[in-house]
Amino acid sequence: MPAIFSIAQMPEQDSQAALLELEEQRLAIKTTKLRSFYFMAAGVLLAAAGLIFEYQLPGIIGGALFLTTGFVFFYKGSSTQGDYVHDFKQKVIRAALLDINPSLRIEPERGLSIGETIRSGLFSTIPDRVSSEDQITGRLGKTVFCFSEVHAEYKTTTRTKNGTKETWHDIFRGIVFVADFNKNFEGVTVIRPKDAGAAISAWFAKNVPVLSSSSHQLVQLENPDFCKEFVTYSSDQVEARYILTPLMMERLCELNSRSEYTIAASFIDHFMFLAFPFDTNYFEPPVFKTLLDPNLLHDDIEVVSFMLSIVETLDLNTRIWGKK
Amino acid sequence: MMIPFLIVLGVLVLFGILLYNRLITKKNQVTNAFSTIDVMLKKRFDLLPNLVELVKQYMQHESSLLNSLTHLRTQAYSQDLPAEKKIALDADLTSGMRSVMLNAENYPDLKANTNFLNLQTAWTESEEQIAAARRNYNASVTDYNDAIMTFPGNIMAGMMNYKEESVISIPEEERRNISASDLFNRTNA
Repeated sequence: MPAIFSIAQMPEQDSQAALLELEEQRLAIKTTKLRSFYFMAAGVLLAAAGLIFEYQLPGIIGGALFLTTGFVFFYKGSSTQGDYVHDFKQKVIRAALLDINPSLRIEPERGLSIGETIRSGLFSTIPDRVSSEDQITGRLGKTVFCFSEVHAEYKTTTRTKNGTKETWHDIFRGIVFVADFNKNFEGVTVIRPKDAGAAISAWFAKNVPVLSSSSHQLVQLENPDFCKEFVTYSSDQVEARYILTPLMMERLCELNSRSEYTIAASFIDHFMFLAFPFDTNYFEPPVFKTLLDPNLLHDDIEVVSFMLSIVETLDLNTRIWGKK
Repeated sequence: MMIPFLIVLGVLVLFGILLYNRLITKKNQVTNAFSTIDVMLKKRFDLLPNLVELVKQYMQHESSLLNSLTHLRTQAYSQDLPAEKKIALDADLTSGMRSVMLNAENYPDLKANTNFLNLQTAWTESEEQIAAARRNYNASVTDYNDAIMTFPGNIMAGMMNYKEESVISIPEEERRNISASDLFNRTNA
């Protein structure tokens, strides 16, 4: 598995040809977008000059014309960009994934639905809106998995003088990894980062269970490093420990230490969900940078390799507990 | 003068009720956790006859070990044993079964038997479930002990005659995080 994928390592010649073709598309989009920015800037400057030098009418008319032309170019560039992004994912990303592991497939339009996100129980706040894309599916040994980029948000409504105002807040932005877990279980076990809010909730769940906001019981586990990072809730205390063996807790801590932000995990419906917060939007082609850069896919390949390493780190291929 | 006194008295009574209920809940959690281990042990003991019968057909040289396992299993059912004794029996059974599983490596026909593989998987699963139940019991006991040994729970616990409970010691193998796949020398990857 290559740590860094470069265009020199593209598996097939037609992929190279596709990349060159895409580079032409990129240059055309770049030119259109730059034109649109120049026209819009010229429009604003013209209108401003008209106002300053008291040529208001010609200034505004000229400015509006330039702005409109700029918007037309911008719209044209954006509509072409959709095809460019689609082709990049289907040709370049797809080829790179096959090079890493032949079972990997990308479905750019698919992702985690809002229903699946809520059902995963990964987040303490229920999202009102979920946008998800770039689902990658695959199989390593006996473990079937998929992961996709997810942006989950909730909304708050406030009253203003003119009515109501909706504000959207981030719950999570990153990648959610879903895999078929190697043990049978019936209940729900959720592991969340131990931030201040989660620590307070956990204190209430332990000391004043009546006031606990969680519908599940707090699970007090033995690993101090694990408990420092995470709060665990489950519908079944024994089942939670069946899943979270001492070894599994160590492995989750190891996985967490390799992630920039604290991860979250849940075990529901025979599946394991892992949420990795990320700031980067992966698998997107650049517009203002060349596609012929040897390190073009460095970050994308790194994140895919990281996702694949989860199966090994968590030992998901060991199937000796009745789950085939 | 009377009203503040009644308020203080009311708060104290409420506090006493909450403390009493808390201790009862924790004591019940310990009992419940113990009964979970008992259920898991029964599940495991039920697996044993089939495993021993099957293994006997292939491992004639290990008859004394297999007979001792059968004897332990009979003991587990012969009388109404306290749970502590059952746990001790289970430790002996586990140790015996580890020997059987390791010796199975020397019997290729046995290793290839589908029933044996299924039973082996079921045994491993039950081992992990018992370990989980035991850890749950220990967590409940620790929680209960903390509640009856710290102030003001210790005063109420003294009045209720609640005594400290002992945790179950974790076998050395589990502390070393031995994996079942290592034990069976069989990773189904």
